[in-house]
Amino acid sequence: MTDVPVSRIRNFSIIAHIDHGKSTLADRLLQVTGAVTDREMKEQFLDNMDLERERGITIKLQAARMNYTAKDGQPYVLNLIDTPGHVDFSYEVSRSLAACEGALLVVDASQGVEAQTLANVYLALEHNLEIIPVLNKIDLPGAEPERVKQEIEEIIGLDCSQAILASAKEGIGVPEILEAIVHLVPAPQDTVNDPLRALIFDSYYDSYRGVIVYFRVMDGTVKKGDRVRLMASGKEFDIDELGVLSPNQVQVNELHAGEVGYLAAAIKAVTDARVGDTITLANARATTPLPGYVEAKPMVFCGMFPTDADQYEDLREALEKLKLNDAALNYEPETSSAMGFGFRCGFLGLLHMEIVQERLEREYNLDLIITAPSVIYRVTTLKGEVLYIDNPSKLPDPQHREQIEEPYVQVDMITPQEYVGTLMELSQNRRGVFKDMKYLTPGRTTLTYELPLAEVVTDFFDQMKSRSRGYASMEYQLIGYRENPLVKLDILINGDPVDPLAAIVHRDKAYGVGRALTEKLKELIPRHQFKIPIQATIGSKVIASEHIPALRKDVLAKCYGGDISRKKKLLQKQAKGKKRMKSVGTVDVPQEAFMAVLRLDQ
Amino acid sequence: MPNFPVPQSAYLHIPFCRRRCYYCDFPIAVVGDRSLLAPGQPLQGNNSGTIAQYVEMLCREIQLAPVSGQPLETVFLGGGTPSLLSVSQLSHILDRLHERLGIAATAEISMEMDPGTFDLAQLQGYRAAGVNRVSLGIQAFQPELLQVCGRSHTVEDIQIALELIHQVEVPSFGLDLISGLPHQTLQQWQDSLEQAIVLNPHHLSCYDLTIESMTPFGRQYKPGQHPLPSDETAAQMYRLAQQSLTTAGYEHYEISNYAQPGYQCRHNRVYWENRPFYGFGMGATSYLQEERFARPRKTREYYTWVEAIYRRESDAEGREKGEAFSLDSDAATLHSASTSDALLDTLMLGLRLAEGLSRRDLAENFGTAIVEKICRCLAPYEPKGWLEIGSDRIRLIDPEGFLFSNVILIDLFEEFGEG
Repeated sequence: MTDVPVSRIRNFSIIAHIDHGKSTLADRLLQVTGAVTDREMKEQFLDNMDLERERGITIKLQAARMNYTAKDGQPYVLNLIDTPGHVDFSYEVSRSLAACEGALLVVDASQGVEAQTLANVYLALEHNLEIIPVLNKIDLPGAEPERVKQEIEEIIGLDCSQAILASAKEGIGVPEILEAIVHLVPAPQDTVNDPLRALIFDSYYDSYRGVIVYFRVMDGTVKKGDRVRLMASGKEFDIDELGVLSPNQVQVNELHAGEVGYLAAAIKAVTDARVGDTITLANARATTPLPGYVEAKPMVFCGMFPTDADQYEDLREALEKLKLNDAALNYEPETSSAMGFGFRCGFLGLLHMEIVQERLEREYNLDLIITAPSVIYRVTTLKGEVLYIDNPSKLPDPQHREQIEEPYVQVDMITPQEYVGTLMELSQNRRGVFKDMKYLTPGRTTLTYELPLAEVVTDFFDQMKSRSRGYASMEYQLIGYRENPLVKLDILINGDPVDPLAAIVHRDKAYGVGRALTEKLKELIPRHQFKIPIQATIGSKVIASEHIPALRKDVLAKCYGGDISRKKKLLQKQAKGKKRMKSVGTVDVPQEAFMAVLRLDQ
Repeated sequence: MPNFPVPQSAYLHIPFCRRRCYYCDFPIAVVGDRSLLAPGQPLQGNNSGTIAQYVEMLCREIQLAPVSGQPLETVFLGGGTPSLLSVSQLSHILDRLHERLGIAATAEISMEMDPGTFDLAQLQGYRAAGVNRVSLGIQAFQPELLQVCGRSHTVEDIQIALELIHQVEVPSFGLDLISGLPHQTLQQWQDSLEQAIVLNPHHLSCYDLTIESMTPFGRQYKPGQHPLPSDETAAQMYRLAQQSLTTAGYEHYEISNYAQPGYQCRHNRVYWENRPFYGFGMGATSYLQEERFARPRKTREYYTWVEAIYRRESDAEGREKGEAFSLDSDAATLHSASTSDALLDTLMLGLRLAEGLSRRDLAENFGTAIVEKICRCLAPYEPKGWLEIGSDRIRLIDPEGFLFSNVILIDLFEEFGEG
């Protein structure tokens, strides 16, 4: 790798809504600058995990260094720092933006600005980034670059007269984008002679080399063999390996201010080198760390139990391994009378939860029962103690409680005007407090509500999408705790309380939720050889009850030559389903039942 | 090559029906009532193929069948409505079958027939062609229930059909009835059973209605919900049949089948004893060399398939005749049987029979450890009176064991199924 003066480095990221073409553009930039040969090119090079490629979203960010000779004849180094595209990871987004001087704002010319894009643009503006608007997919028949330009100008207030019209897929506008990066994005400040400060914007665990840390050198110089100190965790390590991402890892001996690279230093877990932490030299420490470090805190919790009790140890090992690579994942053992041994796990948000779940099932081959997600409640006892409750079954009895507070979020939605009514209705039903509504452009409106997080982590997002036929987008941020009259709703199956089904709900909604939940469970739990009562209770008071009638017959009437294969498949399917059920007392409860609260038609 | 038992049974599918009954999801081709005007004549109209054309294809398939060396002991013409065949068409089919595979002189040759589709001459002709067992699909004795089912015949047609059967002195005849129909009452079911007993058939099949999703019934009704009888009532109907028919001297020899002594259906027993059988015709399944193969369920696709194997056979010069066993690469659905599969088949089929499973046979085929495992798995059901684990045989107890047979089978599948 050639040494490059600070003045010819450009660090930038790409801000885009899911599907607006960020990954395709990144791929194209890598190809055009020769960082990746056509032969090496897999679609969407930066999205490393299968899961990401399948869903077309970026979860873990990546970085890439490109050498580019501009039209002025000078060689430049362009560092693309990729950002995850989901609200659950907004902290990671803010850290990677902090590592850049500029950003490409990629907007689908046939769609327009979405809530998530908006949130990230504001983040970028907060970090004083130079923003270059790019209208992508202009080759599509439905492209309306003029309308979308106007929208960007009106909503964000960005001048779009210089906006680049591009089609990443077709390679249109890519040279213009590279030139714009060189000329519009400022060079990093030349602080090569200051004490080392490098910002960690990503890290992952490698089983051979330990944690690989991705960082941007803000000040000073770092060399292979240096002993470095992480200012927030206070841990010190010797750098075994230093390099750049081109985008494959290439070792170098030294990196200086403005450069982006990676290091390996026998770090055992990502928690020791968290995103946002500052790297400095152990023997020549910087006086202050870089601003903005926050330890990512889980906001959404659920219980995870192996269907087969023998898999408990496997589940523990799998979580340990995931945790090595995911500082935001929290878990602790949980025992439930109904479910046996499992773990209570904490996540940044719903997508994060889904990803972890899926990886556990897919990569570690575990069969899991997952309880409905809940949030963390702040409970003050009569004695004045403040408890954080992440599990409804641990809520202290009413006679010991002074108050329960629940986390609130501000939700911003952007939607075509015709769906405003139904989205307001949705927010209202979810105990939302209306804050603001703005007509951005004809046909697009922002809607702001304050909502209990508990109402958002159930199926709010899905509901918003289906009510708006997929057109609305949303973004939320935590705004603090508020007291509410909340009660614990218990569910009894065949007389036994099933704690994974317990929920903390608003008093006024308890009756409706209880009734809907018992009805749903009646649908989901198969008939047994005996009658099964299902009750919803608050304390000792039954507020709703249903029963599953006993099985009266279960027989295949016809089974001749042509029926055998089909009937056998049917039985095999049922046997498999039964294997995946959890025995609660003498009742077999299918996995879906534990998520039933998410599927209530309220 | 392992030594497979020799197939001595053949199923022939005759897919034509005057119309589709509302509960039926069989592979059939509707030809309308016109088929009755000129039996055996090519039909006009929008049908994808005429009966005559189909008969030719069926015979061609028969002529390509792998030869086992042993003559057929049972032949079953099912449908559809086989009685829509003319006498000459039926004779033609049986002749080809005899030429290719041989039909034993003592063979049981069964034919499904629908009331209203045949007359005296036709029935005499079928008899002369070799048919010695008739299964008459009457389903119900109440006009309103026949209508609910979308049956194309009337109660009068049933009477006429039965008179013809008696007149021709068919050596063995049976009736089909369905319980659990929409709007059907327990009283109506009892009446049907009583009427059936008076008619004194050698054989009776009583099917608890299964709602198949891709049928008009599947779209209209939900099992256990009005106007279908409740599960409890449907179970009562099952018990009632068991009681009335065994009292009348019938053996309840399979979950849905009753017979006077000596009149069990030999062909159907082949299925439940998990023995091999040929299958011919659209949608028909064969079970040869422990492989089940289902033919295409649509007329055109079936024709294409027959043409394809015909071409391949003619192309394969010098190849040993009767190698159609290896046609499986064309298979629409093909199940290569593993030991686990073979065990599940044996359990699922054998427990349908009143005599249940032979412990000795199980031990011979699957080992004594498996038999022990089966017994352990089933033990919880013995005290409930659902089954009996004897020293020779394991069998479900009539009627409760039969009524809950799936519960028992699911336990066995959980134990022995893969994955």
